[in-house]
Amino acid sequence: MAFLSHNDQNEIKRLFEQLSGDVRLIHFTQRESPLFLPGQECETCKDTRLLLEEIVGLSDKIHLEAHDFVAENEIAREHAIDRIPALVMTADGVKGKVRYFGMPSGYEFSVLLGSLVDASLGKSALSEETVKVLQGLDKDLHIQVFVTPT
Amino acid sequence: MAIENPRIVADVVEVNEFPDLAQRYAIRGVPKTVINETVEFVGSIPESQFVEHLQRASSPSTS
Repeated sequence: MAFLSHNDQNEIKRLFEQLSGDVRLIHFTQRESPLFLPGQECETCKDTRLLLEEIVGLSDKIHLEAHDFVAENEIAREHAIDRIPALVMTADGVKGKVRYFGMPSGYEFSVLLGSLVDASLGKSALSEETVKVLQGLDKDLHIQVFVTPT
Repeated sequence: MAIENPRIVADVVEVNEFPDLAQRYAIRGVPKTVINETVEFVGSIPESQFVEHLQRASSPSTS
């Protein structure tokens, strides 16, 4: 079953018309296994993957790379991914790193779409003044925003 | 913000899926923002205030 209705798809396609640069979605997930391994289950990995595949299908500028968190742990380490499902959003215009942990559903889904557009355009929706301050910050900053799907 | 500065890593974390993080960061309301484990606030705040928090987290006295 598709996550996005026909109407959702059309609306997102319209939003994606403004995309200019390519965006890579580096997704870390779990290979589906018939074996149940206690403590290693990832309840939302499959749905997250399906949702991302649906998004990627709506624009030829968005590219999905799925990696197995365990088998491809070197790539996961490179992006400092310590849990799944995880998503790293990269594009030529993205200077820092934008990551999502957990399934981006509910309100976070629209946040994800907005980030995709910003990443593709290589500019944030922030004020000029904010951008100036941000560019002057010369310390590594790790911003974590904790959310729930509703 | 991470789009504008190479030293910024911005994470969005769905906290229901990671109860260990909910516990570690004492999440009782969302959105909760934690910067460098030193500065934190709950709720949506104006952009200018967010920037002030970032400046505070990046000041030499905060490590």
